[in-house]
Formats: sequence, structure tokens, C-alpha cells
Amino acid sequence: MSNPYLEGLASIAPEIVLTVTALAALVFDLVVKGRESVRVGYLSLAGLAATAWFLFGQWGVEAHTAFGMVSIDQFGNFFKLFTVAALAVVVLYVMHDRRERKSGVGEYYFLLLGAAIGIFFMVSTNNLLLMVLGFELLSLSSYSLAGFHKGNRKSAEASMKYVIFGGLSTGIMVYGISLLYGLTGTIDLSLMATSPNLVAQVGSNPIPFGIATVLILAGFAYKISLAPFHFWTPDVYEGAPTPVTTFLAVASKAAGFGALLRFLAALFLGQGATALGGYGERVALMLGLLAAITMTLGNFAALRQSSLKRMLAYSSIAHAGYVMVGIACMTREGFSAAMYYLAAYYFMNLGAFGFLVYFEGVTGSDTIDSLKGMGFKAPLISMVMVAFLVSLTGLPPTVGFYGKYLLFVEGVDEGLLWLVMIAALNSVVSLFYYLRVAKALFLEKPAEQDAAPAPVLTGFVTVLGLATVGLGLYVAPLESWASRSLDLIRGAAGS
Amino acid sequence: MQSQILTWITFLPLIGMAVILLMPKTSMNAIKGVSLAATFVAMVLGTWLYFSGFEQRSLAEIQAARAGGDILGAQFVQRFDWIDSIGAQYYVGIDGLSVALVWLTTVLLFVGVIASFGMEKAGKAYYALLLMLEVGILGVFVSLDLFLFYVFWEVMLLPMYFLIGIWGGPRREYAAIKFFLYTLAGSVLMLVAIVALRLDSGTFSIPQLTELAVSGKLMGASLPAHGVLLGMDFTTWVFWFLFVGFAIKVPVWPFHTWLPDAHVEAPTPISVILAGILLKLGGYGMLRACFPLAPDAFHESAFALGVLGVISIVYGAFVALGQSDFKKMVAYSSVSHMGYVLLGMAAFTVWGMEGAVLQMFNHGTSSAALFLIVGVVYDRAHHRDLNGFGGLSQLMPRYWALTTLGFFAALGLPGLAGFVSEAMTLVGAFEAKDTRFQVLVLVSTLGIVFTAAFLLYAMQRVFLGKKNAKYEGIEEINAREVFCQAPFLFLCVLFGILPYLLLDWMHPSVQNLINILKVQG
Repeated sequence: MSNPYLEGLASIAPEIVLTVTALAALVFDLVVKGRESVRVGYLSLAGLAATAWFLFGQWGVEAHTAFGMVSIDQFGNFFKLFTVAALAVVVLYVMHDRRERKSGVGEYYFLLLGAAIGIFFMVSTNNLLLMVLGFELLSLSSYSLAGFHKGNRKSAEASMKYVIFGGLSTGIMVYGISLLYGLTGTIDLSLMATSPNLVAQVGSNPIPFGIATVLILAGFAYKISLAPFHFWTPDVYEGAPTPVTTFLAVASKAAGFGALLRFLAALFLGQGATALGGYGERVALMLGLLAAITMTLGNFAALRQSSLKRMLAYSSIAHAGYVMVGIACMTREGFSAAMYYLAAYYFMNLGAFGFLVYFEGVTGSDTIDSLKGMGFKAPLISMVMVAFLVSLTGLPPTVGFYGKYLLFVEGVDEGLLWLVMIAALNSVVSLFYYLRVAKALFLEKPAEQDAAPAPVLTGFVTVLGLATVGLGLYVAPLESWASRSLDLIRGAAGS
Repeated sequence: MQSQILTWITFLPLIGMAVILLMPKTSMNAIKGVSLAATFVAMVLGTWLYFSGFEQRSLAEIQAARAGGDILGAQFVQRFDWIDSIGAQYYVGIDGLSVALVWLTTVLLFVGVIASFGMEKAGKAYYALLLMLEVGILGVFVSLDLFLFYVFWEVMLLPMYFLIGIWGGPRREYAAIKFFLYTLAGSVLMLVAIVALRLDSGTFSIPQLTELAVSGKLMGASLPAHGVLLGMDFTTWVFWFLFVGFAIKVPVWPFHTWLPDAHVEAPTPISVILAGILLKLGGYGMLRACFPLAPDAFHESAFALGVLGVISIVYGAFVALGQSDFKKMVAYSSVSHMGYVLLGMAAFTVWGMEGAVLQMFNHGTSSAALFLIVGVVYDRAHHRDLNGFGGLSQLMPRYWALTTLGFFAALGLPGLAGFVSEAMTLVGAFEAKDTRFQVLVLVSTLGIVFTAAFLLYAMQRVFLGKKNAKYEGIEEINAREVFCQAPFLFLCVLFGILPYLLLDWMHPSVQNLINILKVQG
């Protein structure tokens, strides 16, 4: 295998498998004509399993670049594996969502897989152009997914809002990238930080570089819905079909964080830190302020929601704020804590949304009031939901607590005590609305309707619940994985 | 097994809980049996631990242990790595401060299970949560690792929330969420302080942290800006963060407002556990993980703490006087009684500290008895209005006799347990180096008067006076209820007459604590 082209193909095998699966799902859907869409679901699951197999094959492979733009490293692998796992869970939710069964949902799988391909390229490239392409592929798939319920006004509104906000912020981001390209003469992140032009420019007048950074960060802030770029989030999350919301809130958001981490690490950590002097600290302060605003706003807005779906949307905004605490540290350890928290975020939010899928199927409504007394009708899934709520609040012994603990440690260590205090007090606020769900489930009189059992769905959610608690007690594997993944990004940024 | 006995005691209820969760909902008798068995075995182990297993060491022996890295002289230590990457360990052990409270916990939970048999609504989930609560409480008392301590501390919250929220009174939801929010607000502050201590010292081990703190090496030197926050130096803010976290649990005025709500709404067995043992966690936490970790700040703020203690004593008793709800009255009396604990600790004398620990234990028994007493009359009359009874002494003479004993124990009649500990804290506070404490003692005597007043006034309204015709056929206290109260009233009498049965155990540890904290002050 001396042919570099063939070697490159081998490196992007997971992406190829994913693309083939997506196309196969599209064709297969035409064959089965929407009636047996569950089979398309199985096909997608098989494709995802194959993708995961190839990803495991790349486990521990030395970081290298394929086709001059796709970076194959542990960092990308971390996000890709979580994306595949999250996508598998979402596909299972689609297959077991009582409401989705009514319409032909074959295209669903195609769009989800397409979005995943976007994520794959987004998190594994130092080439900003490819990153934007991945970003756009993810966004375009998401727009269509958000508007999947064609007849539903809310769904249509969600899609429309998403398109407008998305288009605008991508434009802003691309403009920022063009400025950065003008300053450095390269589109490759790993070369930018040490570009002599940039270093000279920042030395004499840092304003153009500042503008470029802020514009690019605005694009990322949109994707991970940081305040004040979050306005689309609640409406889109509420209007989109619940499995799509799950995908947007978990996989898409985490991918945005992945790209953001790579961007910041390349520019401000490692070699960039020395070349650009203390510039990273100013960016860190800005990110810290964004974190504080985001979590406070997310939590206080969530307090007033009557819809569980909207509440989870605002809660996901708040959690983006927590993750930003680690990023605002601008250290390798801080980034590692942020990655651990993202991993925790996958588990607890996938689970919480799974619960939502189940109860929307049972009650036909997403209000917290409609959950009344359900804890006694469907005890297992409700108990597991309480575990997710505990983890989201950040109480031990759960993965969410440990994630928050790591963020706090890094925050205090980097002198961000004020931010840690804000985050800690925010946890108290968040308890109030998370417990409203627990209260509705267990503390209020049961409603009339029966909760039809959904053993398979309950099964997945329970597994996620066990992981949420289990990984909180036995944290070593996840933590070492998160921190090892970061070693390689630093290596890649330095090389 | 002896070396692992603390682990067994702590996690035995967890095994019971797991068994209960696997049992069908319908076999209630078996579920009750399992809960009873699990708490009974824990109680037997706890009793053995207290009277036989725990070795009474002399002060010299405890001080000798300091060379081996254990400044507390803990026994039954079990220690292994838990989370390597952050250095958190599974590190448990007991000393003279915790051994009595561990024992009390096991007794209270056992009685709590029996007292629950009277509750018809209590199902499978109730007993499972009760056992989970026991795991959390015992875990806090035996933990010597700050991280582990915090984990157990939070594990307690959820079962308590549901126990009040599902099986409580009419305003149960409000009371449950208030309890949870207050405690969590305190514990996030604790968490920040724990994180800061860990970063500064590199360890979670409480004995090691204590050693560092008393030798002045825990000053935030390795933190950015030396850990100064808004002009407060490291030890000061660490102290206050930890203190507020524990003070909410005690509860110290002005953090007490969750307590009356929680007590009034909680079912009787839960009130018993709440007053009997949960409040003690706050006082214990201060002695274990607040004062020793920031000794300088403790000495500086001692008078302020004393003032808070006295306000709690007087305010709690005064408000109790104005209550017409029997249970709310008892709840406020807890605020008052726990005020002595803070006053005694703040005084920082041997008598004051020992009195404080003793008062925690004695309040555990007497308040448990009082809440059981309230429960008896509430189960029959379905209301707790102190003005709605009258003349019950003629209808329920045996109940009246037990109530009288409980009331007298609570108001500190000589010969009963409460007297010894309250007297000790007051004498200890009077002897304090800071002479301003003498004023505090004078003011707190007001609390004693109010306490006597509200208890006797309640006694008069409920038991004396004209017979209320409505309760003509009221059922006398039954055997199960007597059986529940008997151990607590017995302990009130026993430790009133033979207080050394508690004091001898705690004395060396208290003396040791005072010695090590004094080095700095």
C-alpha cells in the first residue's frame, strides 16, 4: 500500500461506510415504499455498527493527515464514536417513537446519516474550508430534519427559523475565516498559529485578528447555542420531532464543541500560545463571560417552561454554559474536563430525551403537567429519569456530578473562581426545574390514562441510566479516554 | 470482618434496598420484614461497635497516632484508592466524635422502620428510600475522605425529598422542594470549598487536611491570587462556605426556615429521623470538616458563631411558644436545642465542645421521642392543633405519662439527659477565653425559660383542663407505639443519670480536637 491515494481512502473508511449506508438507506426506502420503514432503520443500525468497527480499527493509530486535509487522530475519534453511538440511539428512538410511525419515515434515516457525515468531517480536520463544508452538511440535514413534520406549523416554523439563523451565522463565520486567511495566507489551522504574518500582525495591531476570531466564534456559538446566539434553540427544539431534537441537542451540539475545541487548541494552545502571546487570555475571558451569561440565562428561562421539551432545550443551553467553563480555562486540563463533561452530556441527555419520546407516545403531549402520576404507571423508566435529572443537576453519584466536579477544579485552578461560583449557584437553580419533573412523576396524583409499556425503549433508556450512575462511580475509563484524546490534538496542533 | 465493619454497617441497608426492589409490590409483609432485618442487623452491629468494638483510647494514644499520619486517631480504618486521577479514596473510620452518632443512627432507623408499620400508604418504594437514606447518613459519619463525605452527603437528599414529597402532608411538595433547595444551596458552596482545599493541598483525606491546616500550610498558596476572593483570604472564605453548608443542615438561624415546613409535612417516622439524626450531620460536619480545616478563621469568627447560636436558642424557643400546631412547636424547639450545639462549639472549651457533642446525641433521643408523641395523637385525632384537645390525661393516662417524661427531657430537667448537655455547653461557654461569651450565656438563659414555657403551656392545653367530649373514646397508646418510644425515653433517663457512658467515649477525641486546633490560636 504505497499509493497515498489508497492509504487516504483507508483512513477515511468510516466516512465512506457512512456515506454508502446513507445512500443505501435512501434507495432501500424507495424499494420498501415507506411501509416497512423499520427495516431501513435496521439497515442504518447495521451501517452504524460497521462504521463503529472501522473507527475502533483506527484506535490508537498515530495521528496523520489524509488527502492533506482530513486529520485522523484520537480527538476526532472520540467525537466520532460518540456521534455513532448517539445516532444509533436516535435511530432506535425513531423506530420506537409511536408518533413517528404514522408517516413514512424512510428519509429520516438518510438525513440523519447525512448529518453524521457532516459531523465526521467537521471534527476531524484542521482545514477550515473542510470544516465549513462539514458544518454546512450537518446544518442542511438538520434544517430538513427539523421541518420533517410537513403539516405541522411548529415544525415548519422551526425549520424556517433554523435556516435563517443558520445561514446568517455561517455567513458571519465564513467572513471571519476569510479575514483569517487574509492575515495568515493559509487555510490550515495547524499552520496558522505560527504563521509569521499573523504573529507580526498581532504584534503591531491585534484588531483585525480580534475581529476574525470573534466572527468565527460567533459561528461556533450559534451551533452550540451560547447566549446571545441561542434564540433559535428553544423554538427549533420544540418544533422538531423529538428524535430530531435529541440529535440536535446531543450529537450536533457536541460536534460543534468538538470543532470549537480544535480551533481554539490550534490557535491558542501549544505553539500558538507562545506565538500569539497572551492573546488567548483575552479570548478566554470573553468565553468565560459567554459561559456565565449562557448558563444563567438558560437556567432561568428553563424555570418558566411548562413543556418538558422546551425545558430540556433551555437546560441544554445551560449545559453548554457549563462546558464553556472548562474551555474558558484555556488549558489542556480545562479542555479535558470539557470533553469529559460532553461525554457525560451524551449519556444523560440521550436518556432524558428517550424518556420524552416514551411519554410523548403515551400521553400525546409534552407538557410537564401531563406527566402527573406517571411514576406509578411506568415505574422503571420514571426512576431512571430521576437518575438523569439528578445527573443533570450535578449531584453524586452520577457522571454529571463528576463532570461538573472536574470543571470546577479546573476553573478554580485557573483563577476563574467567580465563574465557578456562578456555575455552582446555577446548579441550585437548575435543581428547581429538574425536580418539577420528578415532582410531577411521583408526587402528584396519577392521571386517568394508562401508560402502555414499551419494553424496548425502556430497555435502552435503562441502559443509559445505568451508565449515567455507573460511570459516576467508576470514572477512570471515561476520564482517561477524554484526556488521552486531547494529547493527540495537541500533538497535531504542534506538528 | 472486624476491620471492614464500618463498610458492612454502611452498606447493609443498601443490600436490603436492593432485595426490596427485586421483590413484588404485593408482598408487603416480606418487604417490611426485609427492612426490619436490615436495620436490625445494622443496629446490632452499631451497638456492638459502640459498647464493645470501639476501643477507648487515652489522649496520649490518640496523640501517638498523629505520628502515623492520623491526627484524629480513628479506628476501624479502611482505606483504598477509589478515583485515582483525582486522588479520591474510599477512606472510612470512626473516632470518639462519630461513634455515638453511628450507633444512634442505626437505632433511629430501626425504630423508624417499626414506626412506619402504622402508615398504610407506605409501600415498597417507601422502605427502599428509607434504607437508602440510612446508607447516606451512615456514610457521612464514617467518611474520612472529603470527596466520599460529599458524595454520601448528597446521596441523602434524594430519598429525603421523596419521603417528604410523596408521603407527607398537604403542603408536602412545597416542603420537599424547599428542603432540597436549601440543602443543595449549602452543599454547592461546600463543593467549591472542597475543590479549593483539594487544589491547595493535593489531598482529600480529612486527617491529612487537618494536619496541614493546623500547621498553617493550608493557606491557598498554590492557588491563583493565593485564593483571595473579594478581599477575603483563602481560609476565611473556605471556612464560611463550609460553615454555611453545614449551618443550613443544623439549622442555624437564619437558615432555619426549611425546617418547620419539612417537619410539619413529613410523616412521623421521617420527622423522627430528620430531627433525630439529619440535623446532627450539620453539627458533626462542622466538627469534622469545617473548624479543623480552617482553624484561624474559626477562631476569628467564634464570637459570631456564638451569637448565631444564641439567636437560634432564644428565637427558636420564642417562636415555639407562639405555635398552635403541635408538630411545628416541636420543630422550632429543635432550632432552639441545636443552638446550644453551636454555642458550645464556638466557645472552644472542653466542656463546651463536649457539651455540644453530647447535646447532639441527647437532642437526637429527646426530639425523636417528641415527634413520636406528636405522631400518636395525630394518628388518632387527624389534627395537631394544640387548642383542639384538652383533658387527654384522663383519657390516655399512659400516653400522658410518657409525654411528660419526653417533655421534661426536652426542657432540661435535672436527672434527664438534656440537662447535662445544656448545662455543660453553658458552663463551657461561660469559661470561654473570650469574655463576651458570658453575655451570650446570660442571654441564652432566656431560651431556657421560653423552652419551659412552651412545653408546659402545650402540656396544659393538650392534657390538662376540661375533658374534650369529642375524644371520649380515643384509643390509648398501643404496644407498638410504646415500643417505639421506649428506647428513646430510656436513653434520655440513662444518659441523664450516667452521662459518662457517652462522655468517656468522646472525651479523648474532643480533647484532642481542642489541642490540635489550639496550636494555631
